[in-house]
This record gives sequence, C-alpha cells and structure tokens, in this order.
Amino acid sequence: MADPVDSMLDLMRRLPPTRVEENVNALIQLCPDYADDLLGSVDQPLKVQTDHATGREYLACDYNRDGDSYRSPWSNEYDPPLEDGTTPSPKLRKLEIAANEAFDTYREMYYEGGVSSVYLWELDEGGFAGVVLFKKVMNPSSRDDPSGSWDSIHVFEMAERGRQAHYKLTSTIMLQLVTRQNDKPEDASSGIGSEKKNSEQHGKKMAGEVNLSGSMTRQTEQDWPLHDASSHITNTGRMIEEMEIKMRNLLQEVYFGKTRDIVYDLRSIEDLERAQRQRELQKELVGFIKR
Amino acid sequence: MNQDDERIAAASSFILQSPPGEINDVLHDVRVIVNGVRSAEEVLPGDHSSVQWTDPQEEKLAQGILPALRDYNLTQFITVDVPGTSHQTIVSDIARIPSNDEDQERFLDPRSKTSFKFDHLSLEATDSRPAELDVDAEPLRAALESSTLSYLAAHYRSGVVAVFSVQPPSQFIVQIVANKYNPSNYWSGRWRSQYHIDFDSQTIRGKVLVNVHYYEQGNVQLETSHDLTIPIPPAVANAEPSSASSKILALIDIEESRLQRSFNDAYHEMAEKTFKGLRRALPLTRQKIDWDKVLGYKLGAELTAGKGVFTTS
Repeated sequence: MADPVDSMLDLMRRLPPTRVEENVNALIQLCPDYADDLLGSVDQPLKVQTDHATGREYLACDYNRDGDSYRSPWSNEYDPPLEDGTTPSPKLRKLEIAANEAFDTYREMYYEGGVSSVYLWELDEGGFAGVVLFKKVMNPSSRDDPSGSWDSIHVFEMAERGRQAHYKLTSTIMLQLVTRQNDKPEDASSGIGSEKKNSEQHGKKMAGEVNLSGSMTRQTEQDWPLHDASSHITNTGRMIEEMEIKMRNLLQEVYFGKTRDIVYDLRSIEDLERAQRQRELQKELVGFIKR
Repeated sequence: MNQDDERIAAASSFILQSPPGEINDVLHDVRVIVNGVRSAEEVLPGDHSSVQWTDPQEEKLAQGILPALRDYNLTQFITVDVPGTSHQTIVSDIARIPSNDEDQERFLDPRSKTSFKFDHLSLEATDSRPAELDVDAEPLRAALESSTLSYLAAHYRSGVVAVFSVQPPSQFIVQIVANKYNPSNYWSGRWRSQYHIDFDSQTIRGKVLVNVHYYEQGNVQLETSHDLTIPIPPAVANAEPSSASSKILALIDIEESRLQRSFNDAYHEMAEKTFKGLRRALPLTRQKIDWDKVLGYKLGAELTAGKGVFTTS
C-alpha cells in the first residue's frame, strides 16, 4: 500500500495554496501520528512575531519552534519563555548572530522592507544545518489596490570536508498576488457628455478578483572553499542569492506567463473559426500561386 | 462527531477543493490517507503490510463522501456524455430536476429533450427518458442554444454548453464550461461562465470563474471570480427569437472578451507593482551583493578564531 505521507504531500501539492494552513491542520487532526512528518515537509506561510527583549520582528516556523514556543534570533529567547528550550551551542550561536546580521543586510538590499531570520542547529553526524527566512507583505492602501506576500524558506545542510564545505540547499518561495477589479467608466475623461457615454450609464458592470498564489521549490548541492567559520555565511549567502535570482525569474515565468497561456488555451479573444477560415484561404491562395 | 464522521468531513473538504481534472488524484490520496490512519490504529506497529481492507469499511467512506462528490460535480459544471446522442451536457444545480426522492435524482439535457440519472463517482449518465420542456419558452431557448453553440465554436477550443428556460417565464440560463487537462505537463485549467438572461428586467447577470493549476515542482493556482451585468437593449429584447438570441450572445461576447482583456491589466499590475515591490531583481547598485563586504572586517576577524569549530567541537 502507498505511504500515507506520500499521499499527504501529493494532496498538498494539489489543494489551493491559499488554504495550506487549514488543510495541514485537517491532516494532522486526521493522522496525529504523522504530524511531525507533515510539519517538516510542508512549507507554510511564515508568521511574524515580535521579540519582547529587543522589540525587533522575527519569523516563526517549524525550525525555531520548541513545543508551543518560538525562539527569537535576536535575543535567543523563547516566547512564551521556556526554561530548557533548545538553543545552538555558544560557538554556533556566534555564527548565527553574524548570519542574522548579514542576511538582514541582504534583506534590506533586495526586499527594501520585510523581515528576515536565520536559525542554525547542530547535526548529529557533525556539521550543522540552518534555515534562512525572508518575508515581505504588501498591504493594499485602498480597496482596489493590489496586495501580495512573499515568503522565502531556504533550508541548508553543511558538512565540512577538509578545506571544503559541502552544502545542500532546498529553497521554497511562496508568493501570493491579489488584484481586485472594479469596472471603471471607460471614457469618463473623454470630455463633454462623457458621463452619459460611460459604461455605468449604460448599466454595464464588471467586478471581481484575480488571485495568483502558490509555491515553488528547488534544490542544489555545491562545494565551496572554507577559509574560516565566516566562510559559511559568504558561501550560503552566495548560494541563496543565486537561488533567489533564479527562482524569481521562474516565478515570473510561471505566474505571469504560464497561467496566462493556459487561460488563453481555454478561451480565445479572437474568433477561432474566422482565423481558421483565413488560414484555409491562405493555403488555397498559395496553391493557386504554385500552380 | 465520531472518528468516522471526522474522516468523512475532512475527506469531503479535500474533495471540494480539487483542482480541475484532478478529482481522481485527490480521491486516491484521500483513500490512502484514511486507510493509513486506520492501519496505524488497529494493528500492531510494523504490521501494516499485512492489513486487508474489508469491503464494509471502504464502502463506508465511499458512501460518506458521496454528498461532497455530488456538490463538487454540480458546482464545477462537470460534463457528461448524453446517452443516445453525440453531444455532452453540463451537470449542475440548474439541470437538476426537482424531486422528493434523492435516489431518483435526474438531470435534464434540454438539447436532446431527455433526462438521465447520473453516477457522481463514475460520472456516467444512464436511464435516459424523454423530458418535457416549457413549450412557450422553447423557441427562444432553442435559439439561444444555437447561438451559444456558435459562440462556443468561435471562442472556446473545447467546451460544452447547456441552455435552460427557468421560472418565472422569460428567464433563461446559459452555461459554458471549458476544460483542459494536461497532467503530463503538470497543468490543468477550467473556465466556467453562467449567464442569467432576464427578458423582464432586460438584464443579463453573469458569473465567470477561471481556475488554473500549475504543479511542476510546485503548486501555483490562478483563481478568478467576476460578476457581470449587461443590460439588454429594448430593441433586442423585443426582436424575434433568432435575432434576439444572436444579439444577446454578441453582447456576452463583448463583455467576456473585455473581461479576458482585463486579466492582462491585472497581470500587468501584479507584475509591475506587486511583484517588483515585494522583491527587487537586483539591489539598487544593480550588482549582486559583495558578501565579504557585508560580513565586515570586524565580524570576520571575530569568527576567524573559530576555524573548523563545527566538526571538531
């Protein structure tokens, strides 16, 4: 029999991305035994929390969670407080602090806003792993303004091999874009009497919403030279920057190209029969000329 | 709620969210998940492979999810081959013939003037019988159907239409559905339109829904929902059936094409305003980041002391 976890992941790949949290919760209710598998494999929108000690915002996900508490990368404290919450070793925490500073600079340069967080943890087999998170939300300033959100989740594992380090990176970007459309009078600015001519006057109305949302995931494995501990930041920084540039292009292609092409595959604005007749006529003419 | 009810409720919710053309994939997943849960509960750990599923349990789930499947089929304008004809029609709430007996639920195909029973799991129509249509409304309904079929051929690469006359008199409903399923390239799409044509108030009220699913190494969905209102000019409303219907479909054509063009505006706005506003393609400097500089000398020096610490500690 197929593995239930595989089926859960297949199901999550099909159900609407706008309802991922609701559906993950329903699956956990249905099969509590698989909760960890599911939470570890299905990316959900990141939650923005505020660090009480520093007042800075940070991102909450499964990687900085211990029980019901989340650890802030700025103060290293859990909220709600935990006495024995898991934290990185002092050495790894030092790198985590530096990584948070570096990726915060990256965030400002690419996102010009939003929130970033980096969490690191030791691996049992040596080396360490980490997650680099970015989130930006655009709230509409008026009802008809577009809104959107971007969540980046970069999970990596690192193994040192002498003067080299091997990195395995899995990146997921969740992107949601929403535009409300309300019919605006087409020729309201066309001068005298325009109010009588506009579509409102004729009683025509069109109102609705266009929602594009989803997530894409990509993986890469690379070896980079290791000069000192800080190399891990520059190495993962370059890998993540490269990956985000690649994935931003991919998202652009799928969101604005592919989905639009499929809509035009369903319905054509131009008259298909007329176009077909024209093609046949052209063929005929070519035949005449050849003769 | 007992556990069976909980499972059925969850399964039903998943079914209703199925993307176009993927209901069978969702059903398959749901079956494996629900059976998997039961195996974990009812047998000793490590003994899952030996479980045999008895029919009554499968039967219970199959029966339990039927209302959700029916709901899905009706709202998604599922198409069906009409027995004894070479055309398809749409199974929907409008096509449903009111009946007190749920087991005897029948659907109308006005085009062939027949009704049929519909199996919501196999999606097959059976037990075709002649159906009576509203005689007074029929000339206009038939004319609208013929104009809608021409409209379909002109603007949809593959689609199905159904045109009904409904009560009170002078009310008609035009439904259009177009599906494209391309699982080998990981995408599917559905376009649904419904127009309520009211000759009394001389208005057409339309609803257009588009769903696209793209799932190659990801899960991206387009969902659009629009309401249209189109007034019917008195000259059109009072014309004879063939002329009135072709003009009404021309009005629908104009508005539906305008709607489709407006998607381009929405796409443009989302690409130019939202997408670019969320994340830049490159920093203001138009260059990738100089990571050595970002890290800074101080920070670098501080960390240098700990070379190789992560494997040796």
